[in-house]
Amino acid sequence: MVDWNAKNVIIKIKQIQRMKNQNIQTWVDEKDLMEESFVQNLEGQEFDPISVESILEDEKSGFIETNRRDFLKLLGFGVGAATLASCEAPIKKAIPYTVRPDSIIPGVANYYASTFVNGGDVCPVLVKTREGRPIKIEGNPLASYTKGGTSARAQASVLSLYDYNRTQNPARVSGDGKTESISWDELDTAVKAALVGARVRILSSTILSPTAKKAIQDFCVKYPNSKHITYDAVSSSALLDASQKCFGERNIPDFRFDLADVIVSFNADFLGTWISPIEYASQYASKRKLDSATASMSKHFQVESRMSLTGSNADNRIMVRPSEQGAAMVSLYNLIASKIGSTPIPNAELNETAKAKLNKVADALIAAKGKSLVVCGTNNLSEQIICFGLNNILGNIGSTVSFSKPSYQRQGSDQDFSNLIKEMQSSSVDALIVWNANPVYDSPLAKDFTAAMANVKLKISLNQSLDETSSVCNYVAPDHHYLESWGDAEAKRGCYSLIQPTINPLFNTRQAPLSLLIWADSASINKLSDQPYYEYLKSNWQSNILSKGANASWDKTLHDGYLEADSSAGSAVFSCNVNEAVATITKSNATGTEVEFYESHNLGSGQYANNPWLMELPDPITRSVWGNYLAVSVKFDGDRRFIVSNGVKENGELISFNAKGETKSIGAVKQFGQLEGTSAIAIGYGRTKAGDCGTDIGTDVFPYCSVDALGYIQYFTVAELGNSAGIIEKNYASVQHHHTLGVTAIEKSSGKKINADEAALVDDFFKPIAKGFQGSLTKRSVIRQSNHKNLKESVEALHEERADFQKLNSHTLYPGHDYKYNSGHHWGMHVDLNSCIGCGTCAVACMAENNVPVVGKKEVSRHHEMTWLRIDRYYYGDVENPNVVYQPLMCQHCNNAPCENVCPVNATNHSADGLNQMAYNRCVGTRYCANNCPFKVRRFNWYDFTAADLFPVNQKNLNKETDKPFYADNIVRMVLNPDVTVRSRGVIEKCSFCIQRIQEGKLNAKKEQRALTDNDVKTACQTACPTGAITFGDMNNEGGQLSKKLQNPLNYIVLEEVNVKPAVTYTMKVNNRDESLDA
Amino acid sequence: MNCKPFLNSILIIFLSTAVLSAAPDLDKGKTLFKDNCASCHNKNMKDDMTGPALGGAKERWASYPKEDLTKWMRNSQSLIKSGHPRATELFAKWKTTMTPFPNLTDQDIDDVFAYIEGVNNGTYGPKAAVAGPGAANTGTSSSSGFSWWLYGIFALLGIIALFLWNIISDLNYSKSKSEGDSSAHKKTVFDLLTSKTVIGFVLFGIILFGGYTTVNNAISVGSRKNYAPDQPIKFSHATHAGLNKVDCNYCHDGARRSKQSIIPGSSTCMNCHAAIKVGSKYGTAEITKIYASIGFDPEKGTYIENYNKLSNEDIQQIYSKWIASNILKEKKTITLTEGDQNEVDRQIRELTASLTSEEKPSIAGPIEWVRIHNLPDHVYFNHSQHVTVGKVACQQCHGKIENMEVVKQYSPLSMGWCINCHRETDVKFADNKYYDA
Repeated sequence: MVDWNAKNVIIKIKQIQRMKNQNIQTWVDEKDLMEESFVQNLEGQEFDPISVESILEDEKSGFIETNRRDFLKLLGFGVGAATLASCEAPIKKAIPYTVRPDSIIPGVANYYASTFVNGGDVCPVLVKTREGRPIKIEGNPLASYTKGGTSARAQASVLSLYDYNRTQNPARVSGDGKTESISWDELDTAVKAALVGARVRILSSTILSPTAKKAIQDFCVKYPNSKHITYDAVSSSALLDASQKCFGERNIPDFRFDLADVIVSFNADFLGTWISPIEYASQYASKRKLDSATASMSKHFQVESRMSLTGSNADNRIMVRPSEQGAAMVSLYNLIASKIGSTPIPNAELNETAKAKLNKVADALIAAKGKSLVVCGTNNLSEQIICFGLNNILGNIGSTVSFSKPSYQRQGSDQDFSNLIKEMQSSSVDALIVWNANPVYDSPLAKDFTAAMANVKLKISLNQSLDETSSVCNYVAPDHHYLESWGDAEAKRGCYSLIQPTINPLFNTRQAPLSLLIWADSASINKLSDQPYYEYLKSNWQSNILSKGANASWDKTLHDGYLEADSSAGSAVFSCNVNEAVATITKSNATGTEVEFYESHNLGSGQYANNPWLMELPDPITRSVWGNYLAVSVKFDGDRRFIVSNGVKENGELISFNAKGETKSIGAVKQFGQLEGTSAIAIGYGRTKAGDCGTDIGTDVFPYCSVDALGYIQYFTVAELGNSAGIIEKNYASVQHHHTLGVTAIEKSSGKKINADEAALVDDFFKPIAKGFQGSLTKRSVIRQSNHKNLKESVEALHEERADFQKLNSHTLYPGHDYKYNSGHHWGMHVDLNSCIGCGTCAVACMAENNVPVVGKKEVSRHHEMTWLRIDRYYYGDVENPNVVYQPLMCQHCNNAPCENVCPVNATNHSADGLNQMAYNRCVGTRYCANNCPFKVRRFNWYDFTAADLFPVNQKNLNKETDKPFYADNIVRMVLNPDVTVRSRGVIEKCSFCIQRIQEGKLNAKKEQRALTDNDVKTACQTACPTGAITFGDMNNEGGQLSKKLQNPLNYIVLEEVNVKPAVTYTMKVNNRDESLDA
Repeated sequence: MNCKPFLNSILIIFLSTAVLSAAPDLDKGKTLFKDNCASCHNKNMKDDMTGPALGGAKERWASYPKEDLTKWMRNSQSLIKSGHPRATELFAKWKTTMTPFPNLTDQDIDDVFAYIEGVNNGTYGPKAAVAGPGAANTGTSSSSGFSWWLYGIFALLGIIALFLWNIISDLNYSKSKSEGDSSAHKKTVFDLLTSKTVIGFVLFGIILFGGYTTVNNAISVGSRKNYAPDQPIKFSHATHAGLNKVDCNYCHDGARRSKQSIIPGSSTCMNCHAAIKVGSKYGTAEITKIYASIGFDPEKGTYIENYNKLSNEDIQQIYSKWIASNILKEKKTITLTEGDQNEVDRQIRELTASLTSEEKPSIAGPIEWVRIHNLPDHVYFNHSQHVTVGKVACQQCHGKIENMEVVKQYSPLSMGWCINCHRETDVKFADNKYYDA
């Protein structure tokens, strides 16, 4: 493919003009495009109009049924109620504590160090509590591996605490799935009686807690026929086993992306989901940040078939089929071996194009010997061995691949799990205890497992909710949420963190390890104690763990939440026969459509499915929400463009999916960067018993995963994808083309309007596939990007252009009336697009901090999502294999804010410190401001999404009619931040730069009578970001972090030409792309 | 006839009388007072606040040399130590020393006292703008200078106007008569009052006044100034803050460090009431409510274990025993009369009613106070901002709490009220390094 972008590194005004002309001349698909009425409608539309049909559909929900009589009744009632209400103000009570805890000052937040743990996902955190309720998660900066970063899952975990679908009582489950609540004593007696002499199997996902493992050991001592089996729904079994074979240690090695100048990833989504994404992202970003035109950056090649989050950040993607990963690795190995004179291994067949590209990768790797890193995400033992072999001949072992602090974040064994099924089938298991695992849903062997469960007499679930697995158990002994628990985690060797409860248990639950200890009648717990597990934990730490840290005490560690043991450098010696491995790599398969099943960025393997914040977090690539979709190549189904590929229409299109003898209809999305002949879809959806939010959303594809000859789960299959059958999925929701900044161009021949977003990339070469290059670069100065090679020229060109803009904008109608903001504070933000990996953590943090409502699928499909901070995704470069820029976009707090001028009621205005403010109770909902906003960042409350109104008539149910509106439940409402107004229906809202945090920081400084520092005020998005892409601060504070960032020569301002003077500055996105790899 | 020029002349006379003069040293004194004194001394100079009312202070010190007062202001503590009679008398009465102001010059002190006296005897009002004929915005200022004598002048002018109108109409009448207009007749006062001009003028006045009243009243809808509901405990701020001089921040400790001032928990009450078991006014009736809320056994002086698990009947039994024993102690007898028993029952009934509600059936647990100060949900108000940073005295918004037997809402807590104070009050930039940057 031809890369138009190589020629147009920086879009200058003249170039824009020229391109515009070109594009209009060469725009060939106008007929096609014009058929789609959305093209005309799309432009400039902040709000998708509600059609009459869609209102009529809502007839069932009742609000259309108001006829004249009802109207009169309501009017009468309204007048009466208003009169009554005005007669006497209601008596409000002020209820103090009876005994106020020392540590709580009502109105002031407390922070407790804890650790977010869910299976292998881990993040040391600080939990913000207000009056004893956790409301926000922040990263713990003391943790060396996350450095204070968080993930979207960690941010959203606070909402899971208030999930009313959690199991609220211990229960007995009868055969038909009905539960009957029983007391803990009753449960314990029944379980203990059944456990005597039984062959017990404890099945769990990865357990990071050394103390919980000790509890399991104690349990196994009491019941000697017990065994603990670990499996991971998204398995790294092969990597662990390869590590065992090559280094004699079954742990994930310590991969150091911060030491690697060249990174090659074979299908490992290390920035999104693979092993330890927070850690890897922060390491990766440290090598990608550029603060001058001459700084160096790392090179990143991604070998994959689908566009993953990591791939979208890569400099070059080399597209091979999922089955060709092994062959590609072998080829790379031999290419390197021949170049450095090492012994080659038997070759594996790979197409010549890929081979030629890998040759260049080999050159790059050799040039960075000892400072490169090859990682592999497949679950094939031999491929993992070859991957280690590659690192070995490149001299990376001990530097970028070391065992000084190996990771424990994946421990599962696929073989152990299948052996368990065999045991159960042969009735040699008497009791099965499932803890934080959902094998009835999240395994390709789920069917066998469920069937075999019938042979087990006693099945106990320690899971938090009545999920697929719990509902086929006999007893449910619900575990605490981590925010209610005591505990610990050792994510990497010697990196200990503590978990401490931040709220009393909401429901009648009990900590899972405590349940095990009680059933084991353990002598080390005191049943009469208030917190027996706390004592157990403390004594384990005092005798086994605290001694490992320098001067560590229990109190200090509990305060810090983190303890790092003095590192003992593990020696890693590679000893493995790479030669032998080649025989058992995945056989490449050149025919048929290969469909890859990947862990979704937000839902994981489905364990987060009942979290509305994560459900509504758009997929970073397809930008779709509330569902999983087959990503198909842009050439799929001939030239036919799937409506969904634009994500503009309300409805999506389904295609038939045929694998393992089953046919399903699944929604499809045309995805740039998806290799022709392959497809990909996320696992974790289609759960049947997730709860109100997660049940029956999307399609379950776990059954299509397979198991290879050695027993490793393979996350791809050959399937038959039918062409579009014209079946429509209602309310397909993708946010990419909502709130677009793209401009409209007039198509010359027809005189019709076309969306310049798409036209910008249309060229003669792309005729057949140019339809729907979604979210490509627009011709306005929204995104700036450059290649590292041309950085200097690009920066010069950027400066030239910015100077032009500034000159244009230097004139004013009101000379002498510019308000310069040069005294006091002037708040501003800097977003480093080179650090931003598009993970969406900031977006979830923003929702948590600012009480942003969840609106549900249908409302999102009508452009009604409420996110204050969105991450726009833009493509550039090669159409079939493009590069991606992510741009977090929030209110730009313009100094010449166009929204302020048009508000008829002065509900939005400018503060003296440069903030664009909203007064909700003044807003009458004209939405003029949103229409006048060039960045499209203002959101309108179409319904009472937060259940804030007195009468529930305006509330909108989430997805199903039985769903409550988000926040309608009193337990869920506990997550609301009391410092932020809950907006009601009919008002506009938008990013406030976390005004509540600014006020708090300013006040603290004033109280302490000192100048404000950078650490006083940090926005929620800033603290959440794992890569430090966002910097907030006072632009007038010379020497502050922000002022330093504003010196960066790569800086630009979005839409600078329109002279709105935003307070947010972005850096130019720079890649290290090798164009010769495109074709 | 045309009475316009005539009315204009009245307006002009009125405006020119409204010009007041102000002494320059008084203005400086006012600034000094606001910066240094106003946080403790009431600005009306007549009422006590944290410090005594300053009106007449100079006279009170008149029997001592002038330097003594100056010394007192620069450093009151040293004057007290030196045994100055007036100083020791003041210290004995107020129990605190005044903040020292060593930097005040003699001239400053004179200015401040000139201002204080000016305010005290009403001769100093807000400085009026220079008004000339036609400067229509000055006359309506609601200063203290706008007093009865202005109304007097108005009345006088009105009477003169009536006379003048009479003369003019007489002259007009005789003029028409002399011109041979037979229909001309002498106009009566009745004619004047029913003339279109006057009716129009009066109507305009009524509409203006009506609109003004409507708007003003509409603004105060929902405002609960003077709201003083009955509380579950007859807690007297006059006793605690006034008589016993408990610092506001002792109980309302959130005021200096949080948004909320915080209603103290029962545990805070117990800091004193573990020892003070019988009140001076209500005896056991009110203090027992604290004990019943938190589970304190006043007889043994210990907290009752597992108090939350007790039934209301058990709790009532515990405390009727205490109330009864207290009555016996007071009366120095050993048996309860029927009247005494009725008193015990009454107190227990009241205790139960005060501590329970529909939502909270148990006596044990928090005391449900009735909230007096309610701000709308969209208001961001932070106590610590005002108390710690702005050094605003509690009384400025809450009134003389220390004199209130039952607390009432002193201020309207309206937006206009907030804004007005923010207009008039200077931010305390000095000595706060936050503002240096």
